[in-house]
Amino acid sequence: MDAGRHPNIEVLTNSELVRLDGRAGEFSATVKRHPRYVDPDLCTGCGLCVEQCPTVVPNEFEVGMGARKAIYSPFAQAVPNTHIIDREHCLNGDFLVCSNCAESCDRDAINFDDRGDEIELDVGSVVVATGFDVYNASAISSYGYTLFDNVLTNMEMERILNATGPTRGHIIRPSDHEVPKKIAFVQCVGSRGEGKEKGCAYCSRFCCMNAVKDCMLVKQHEPEINELLVYYIDLRAAGKGFEEFYQRSLDMEELKYVRGRPSKILEDPETKDLIIYVEDGETGKVSRTRVNMVVLSTGAVAAESNRPLADILGIDLDENAFFRANGKMGSPLETSKDGIYVCGCAAGINDVSDSVAQASGAAAEAEKHVAKFRIEEKPREIKELDSSGPPRVGVFLCNCGINIAGVLDVEAMAEFAKTIPDVAHVEVNTFLCADEGQRQIQEKIVEHKLNRVVAAACTPRTHEPIFRESCQQAGLNQYLFEMVNVRDQCSWVHTNVPELATRKAIDLIKMSVARSRHLKPLYENSIPIDQSALVVGGGVAGMSAALQLDAQGIKVTLIEKEGRLGGRLNDLTRVYPADLSASELSVNMQQRIESGRVEIMLSTEVEAITGFVGNFEVATNNGQIKTGTIVVATGADVYTPGSEFGHGRFANVITNQELENILHSTRGTLEIKGQKPKTVVFIQCVGSRDPETNPGCSRFCCPTTIKQAINLRKNGVDVAVLHRDMRTVGDRAEEHYRHARELGVKFLRYTPERKPQVVGVDRRAEKVELMELALERKLEINVDFVVLAAGMVPNEESSASIHDILKIPRAGDGFFMERHAKLGPVETTTEGVFLAGCVGGPRDISDSIAQGAATAAKAITIVSRDTVALDPTTCEVEQSLCRACGQCVEICQYHAPSLVDVAPGMKAAKINQALCKGCGTCASWCPTGAISALHFTDDQIDSMMEALLTGGA
Amino acid sequence: MATKTATLPKKKGKKKFVPSIVAFACNWCSYAGADTAGTNRVQYSPHFRVIRTMCSGRVTPGMVLKAFKLGADGVLVSGCHFGDCHYIFGNYKAVEQFDKTKGLVRTLGLEDGRIRLEWVSAAEGDRWGQVIDEFVDQITKLGPSPLNPQPKFEE
Repeated sequence: MDAGRHPNIEVLTNSELVRLDGRAGEFSATVKRHPRYVDPDLCTGCGLCVEQCPTVVPNEFEVGMGARKAIYSPFAQAVPNTHIIDREHCLNGDFLVCSNCAESCDRDAINFDDRGDEIELDVGSVVVATGFDVYNASAISSYGYTLFDNVLTNMEMERILNATGPTRGHIIRPSDHEVPKKIAFVQCVGSRGEGKEKGCAYCSRFCCMNAVKDCMLVKQHEPEINELLVYYIDLRAAGKGFEEFYQRSLDMEELKYVRGRPSKILEDPETKDLIIYVEDGETGKVSRTRVNMVVLSTGAVAAESNRPLADILGIDLDENAFFRANGKMGSPLETSKDGIYVCGCAAGINDVSDSVAQASGAAAEAEKHVAKFRIEEKPREIKELDSSGPPRVGVFLCNCGINIAGVLDVEAMAEFAKTIPDVAHVEVNTFLCADEGQRQIQEKIVEHKLNRVVAAACTPRTHEPIFRESCQQAGLNQYLFEMVNVRDQCSWVHTNVPELATRKAIDLIKMSVARSRHLKPLYENSIPIDQSALVVGGGVAGMSAALQLDAQGIKVTLIEKEGRLGGRLNDLTRVYPADLSASELSVNMQQRIESGRVEIMLSTEVEAITGFVGNFEVATNNGQIKTGTIVVATGADVYTPGSEFGHGRFANVITNQELENILHSTRGTLEIKGQKPKTVVFIQCVGSRDPETNPGCSRFCCPTTIKQAINLRKNGVDVAVLHRDMRTVGDRAEEHYRHARELGVKFLRYTPERKPQVVGVDRRAEKVELMELALERKLEINVDFVVLAAGMVPNEESSASIHDILKIPRAGDGFFMERHAKLGPVETTTEGVFLAGCVGGPRDISDSIAQGAATAAKAITIVSRDTVALDPTTCEVEQSLCRACGQCVEICQYHAPSLVDVAPGMKAAKINQALCKGCGTCASWCPTGAISALHFTDDQIDSMMEALLTGGA
Repeated sequence: MATKTATLPKKKGKKKFVPSIVAFACNWCSYAGADTAGTNRVQYSPHFRVIRTMCSGRVTPGMVLKAFKLGADGVLVSGCHFGDCHYIFGNYKAVEQFDKTKGLVRTLGLEDGRIRLEWVSAAEGDRWGQVIDEFVDQITKLGPSPLNPQPKFEE
């Protein structure tokens, strides 16, 4: 929706790239626009045509579980919000003459002769974000998908769970539409397989959390369901907050996780129940379990369109047909051709938040080639009308086709509106949001000298910006516009009681007219900004951010507290999965930074930060820095084990990190503390997935252990890995895991209740004891070294200081909280401050690089302009009423209010407009009423209540 | 799913009471949730009127009292779930405000049940309908507010 509305984004849906010529910075793209048969400029999305269309076909969006017509809107939030005709099923053709839709359309939007066209676009760069295809579950014949009614896929389950889905959120099974009492989820369908029949070799990463989430939702939707089973191999809750979510699901009595991959699923032909055959991965027992419904957690495969698209773009695909980055210095955003970038599941398997971060990162990469063509926004020169004087309210009512007028008596509402004092003009329009409706509003503002406009239509959340824009264009300050929600919150929800609904609509109009009298014109202020960026932290994420900013000509300062750049990269040997040398990667990035214009300040730490977006003042031990935006990339710490597993007591119990250092310093000879080991045991989840130390999964330790285990194994060392779940979710990590097993690395599972014991004499660990789960017996492994896979924890010192200085909230695990876990993974609640890399949670190198690039893209949206516009709907202090109690200062999360001197010895609160978000909480808190929340003032709210309750106007 | 309109059993000769309810809904979650109810065509009672605020933390005890003073029979305040607040902690402040409101409402001699604080997310269209239906039901059962000079009855 945001993209669809953005003035600088042209969205071409129903279109395909057919040719790409040229090179980075000067591509020429040929795009084929397929015919839509509905003119999106004329169509208002009213849906009358859909009712008239006689053809019913399965709805793809509902994965075939719902129905749609041949003329349809693909889904509720589709952009553009318009219809399309599926000509394959349409009854208007060579021999058929149905034209019901065209006849029902008041706006003549339907054109059966649409043939589409081809257009040429001159572009500087290309971003591939074509997503993935869902694995076809019917390929695994032993699971009976499509053969048995009650075997569904996770995609189908998603729709069933959706309140707007085919069952309206009710969980029913297809065979008899009854609520299934017992549901089983089968994981890794099409993922982690061997051979064609079993699907792809890699882990699809999102399916575990999807199943956990679905189980939680199932229970919320249908409390009747009394048993949920999840059949899994490893439960991979490896993402920020995921492990905590999984742990919460364990509290659900009805939910049982069973380790094991079902060998087959059969149907009871009478009851249509399903019988699952599985060997329990822990006890080794083979069992048969009867359930009412099965959900197959199907994985992701590369989109079928990848190959033809790769040919058009002239770039390579990886062995799984993803547009995998070519691995050049670890950036996951690059492809094999300069100027073409990739993000999300087109690149490989990614979850939502990583995809969003990569999308921003890819945008930064793409911008490099077009930065010199940045569009200057022209300020509009419209003379504002004089809105002072007594209110002259124009009330505009929308029929919205039949959406409103089909239920509400719009004429009666209009008649009533005419009787309200101060109403100077009333008008009803079929589609107020259409160009014609907007033109009417503008004309009437001038004609009737209206100084307030009230529109009774859909909802301000989608349409207020459009109406405001129209008012502004007619010269009426946009804040003198008021909207009445008579569709989403009235005609659509009180369809069966039209009289009561009309009465409600009349009340709402009355309230809004009353409010409109109290509206005041507001003006956006803009403040000049410092067009530069500061990156705090010179690790891989920080360097990535600095490089991207510099590439676009933004003045960047990079500060690092250590004496050299590189951060954790300096402690590593080789970097999986691309098998790059860590030091080469580090040196490469440093050289690129040094050869650019980035100002590097080593041995520098932030001491204080004041100011706000566009105008930060940063005090460091090396002087003051002025900057418009700040990227925080201060990284995290590796957990230092205490006395667990004999750490500290035995000299030969070391951490992953120490092993890495040894591998680094011995250059592969592996002489650990003077001797070459015969047997090494890794213990996973040390300082991870442990409520005492760190509740979250650190995500990087499983792949790190695999990498090190392979390294040791290739040097003839016997290796065993003791783990709880192997979470090899990253790029090619699952393939490495398989490779390690092929090389003879042993993987043994332990549970947190029965942790392995490290036994030794004096300073030397001699053996590791472990309860073998399948055989219920104690296993002893003689060891030369025990390696603890220590997780990642926030750097307490720097996190606490940044929290104090920048007030970015920290999550329960101590890492910083992003603005939105899915949609704003690199943004913070403080405008102009961004997070990259491990400071926000454990991440691997390629994710950190992507996040660094993403913060650069976000920072550039601010500092590429010379001013920042401030939303005027903020709070304001009437200083003469303020007694400087300071409560507003205390409660504001954005530090907008502060106490300032107004006279010698006299203080009063002042609200910084640049920091205020306009929530109005301080206004409600202020004991003297000195603060008013602009556009939501007390008298505006009171007037609505008065109009409603006293019947007065 | 909320489908039924709240009603009291109709007594012979006696007109049914129609409550006046003011519902404050925050812009980001509850108001959006009410829109979602519309998109999903959830059907629920029409006996309430929404006033949109940017945050549930904006609603003062004074506003609630004013509503009662003007004759409201019930007041609903609805915001985002904890952790979802667009302004981070505005809904926590709403709780504090609501606690104060509760005390004042009691002092006025009104029943606790006349005010309610709820969390409805932007996705919870069904829940919005349920909350409204339940609250309308509750207020209908309580009858007209003693401060309401002209309670409305079905014609």
